Amino acid sequence: MADTLRSSGWAYRGGVLVRAVAAIGGGYGVSALWAAAIATWLPAPKVEAALTGTLIALVVYPCAIMWCFAARSAVRAWVGLALVAILPVCALALHGGAA
Amino acid sequence: MSTWQATMAALTALAAAVAGFAALSLAVDRHWEALHGRGSDPGPLRRRLQGGGSAGLLVSLLACIALKGSAQGWVAWAGMLTAGAFVVVLMSTYAPAKVPPLAKAMAGVALVAGLLAAL
Amino acid sequence: MKEGFRQSMAWLHTWSGLLVGWLLFLVFSAGTAAYFRDEITLWMKPELHAAAHASVPQTAALGHAQALLAQRAANANRWFITMPSEREPAVRASWMPAKKKDGAESKPRGRRRFESAELDPVTGAELSAPRATRGGDFFYRLHFDLHYMSPLWARWMVGIAAMFMLVAILSGIVTHKRIFKDFFTFRPAKGQRSWLDAHNVTAVLALPYHLMITFTGIVTLMFLYMPWGVQALYPSQDKFFTDLNNALPADAKPARQPAPLAPLAPMLAQASAAWEGAPVGRVTVNFPGDANATVLISRQSGRAIGYDQPTMLFNGVSGRPLSSSGAPGAATETRSVLYGLHIARFSNPLLRGLFFLSGLAGCAMVATGLLLWAVKERQKHAKALARGERHVGLRLVDGLNIGAIAGVPIAMAAFFWANRLLPATMPERPDAEIRWFFIAWGVAALIALARPSRRMWQLLLAVGGVLFALLPVLNAMTGGAHLGTAVAEGLWPVAGFDLVTLALGIALLFAARRLQRPAAVRKAPVTQVTAEAA
Repeated sequence: MADTLRSSGWAYRGGVLVRAVAAIGGGYGVSALWAAAIATWLPAPKVEAALTGTLIALVVYPCAIMWCFAARSAVRAWVGLALVAILPVCALALHGGAA
Repeated sequence: MSTWQATMAALTALAAAVAGFAALSLAVDRHWEALHGRGSDPGPLRRRLQGGGSAGLLVSLLACIALKGSAQGWVAWAGMLTAGAFVVVLMSTYAPAKVPPLAKAMAGVALVAGLLAAL
Repeated sequence: MKEGFRQSMAWLHTWSGLLVGWLLFLVFSAGTAAYFRDEITLWMKPELHAAAHASVPQTAALGHAQALLAQRAANANRWFITMPSEREPAVRASWMPAKKKDGAESKPRGRRRFESAELDPVTGAELSAPRATRGGDFFYRLHFDLHYMSPLWARWMVGIAAMFMLVAILSGIVTHKRIFKDFFTFRPAKGQRSWLDAHNVTAVLALPYHLMITFTGIVTLMFLYMPWGVQALYPSQDKFFTDLNNALPADAKPARQPAPLAPLAPMLAQASAAWEGAPVGRVTVNFPGDANATVLISRQSGRAIGYDQPTMLFNGVSGRPLSSSGAPGAATETRSVLYGLHIARFSNPLLRGLFFLSGLAGCAMVATGLLLWAVKERQKHAKALARGERHVGLRLVDGLNIGAIAGVPIAMAAFFWANRLLPATMPERPDAEIRWFFIAWGVAALIALARPSRRMWQLLLAVGGVLFALLPVLNAMTGGAHLGTAVAEGLWPVAGFDLVTLALGIALLFAARRLQRPAAVRKAPVTQVTAEAA
């Protein structure tokens, strides 16, 4: 399998790099957003909310990484991440606005 | 639970796991063929092997829960499954003809140890 | 990755595993050893092998510790008393010597200099100062703090490696097409196929464990890796930890007014009674002898999976209870269970033994993965190699594999040999022992890189095997309780260490011997090959 990809040369390597950045960096960003959003919005004692957000983020991250390499193109990888980021960004913005 | 009972329960758990996995391995084409020749098929026996094997794993779980309680019991069971599966892998690789007798022997051990633990 | 989900996951699996494989092998090896860190520490302090083993009431042991602390640590800010347990027969009294008056309040997670004394729980006598050693704690720290580098860097490296590994496991599950059909499959002496089978078997048979240990490993340091949940709600992590641990706020100060410390035994009894008679694990005295003294008592661990133990806080002067940790919430309990699963301070040897076996399977999984990749790479360059060309990259990978895998047992053995052979009263002894770990490893790795070959594998595995197998002999000859005595007196930590190292040594020698046979793929009957290819 890797042989057929290797024949693409720099296109292949570029694609891998874009996906890797999306996975490692973008994935982390999305997970962090979810951690903060869940912590902020969960109706529970502060300790509970903070822990819940953190634990869930640790599950989101590997899923985001896998998505970035499963997506049919490098662009789709980023689009997928962006879609998953919409909800927590809105949630955090709402909370920031209300505060 | 006394040390004797605990040892018997642990033995039940391990023996049942080995017996269960041994039966399950025989339900897989590759390992059945290793014993009965290429192209042979367990037929209706497959379902029974799978059922019996799963029952063995379940007995192992019950023994673990009896031994360590409901939380640590599941953890212990995971460990027992790993240990039991390894034994069966080694047997299937190096002495495949001995797998059916192993299954029967371990089932017997599990039964006896289980009774001794319960008494 | 146009080829489909499964294939993209196969690609991801190979690369995420490979890039961190060498580091992961060290982490897995050290972590697996750390399951028995207390036992290892005891083995490495032969002076303590004579400690009395009669069980004493906790109050008696506590009394001895308090007496010593009042005498030797009257000015300390904090006392710690660790009660004897099945894993550590002595009662340990530790204290932090008083800081200078103008010293700034040190960060809660910084390293501090502890002093401690081990006491015989029956007589209260201080056990003859055991030789200074980090003991099993070296392996514990090694597997996340590494060594010779700042802990922060190390924890990030290990955390990234853990996340790569988690991705490797998940993508491995997706990509393994015949997970049930190949469940029991192991075909030895067939070259690449055998390595693949071994990798699959060691991975799948302990799969719940591998998933659990990787994820929970990340969880143990999650406030470092993913602080954003806490940060959204708390102005500082310290306030969060105070909330989490029912601890004293970090800015609690001594009143600087002397007041006698109330007797600890009634507090201990009260706490134990509140927990339905469960024994106490640790007693922490803040500001002993001061008017603001408080005493935090926690239950002994090892009973439940969860790591957090209930605690009770007492006023140190009046002896009256101030607060107790309430019933934990769902997320707190979840974290406690996840933490507890990773740390695995279960008192029961059966569970820890099973974890140890699974940890060994994890080491084998990582090692076979690295070797499988090297074998596959070698095949790609087979024609060039057959012509006699030397491929620098391959040599490098082979050398690194040998050094990273076969070097670790040699390093560990060197650590144990140094423990017994270095003089008992030399300065900076713990660091010297650790230095031998790395010296041995470095030498092995250099030799391996110089000449990576099958013979080198044999040599290094055999060296590791011999060093390990002779440890029980070394134990007997250098003042430890030898196997016969240890078994007779029920000193299971020491006996267990001797037996396990002997078994590991024999296993290594066995592996070295199996490498005698040539690697040529056996000519299998044509029908079998086509059937297997199907």
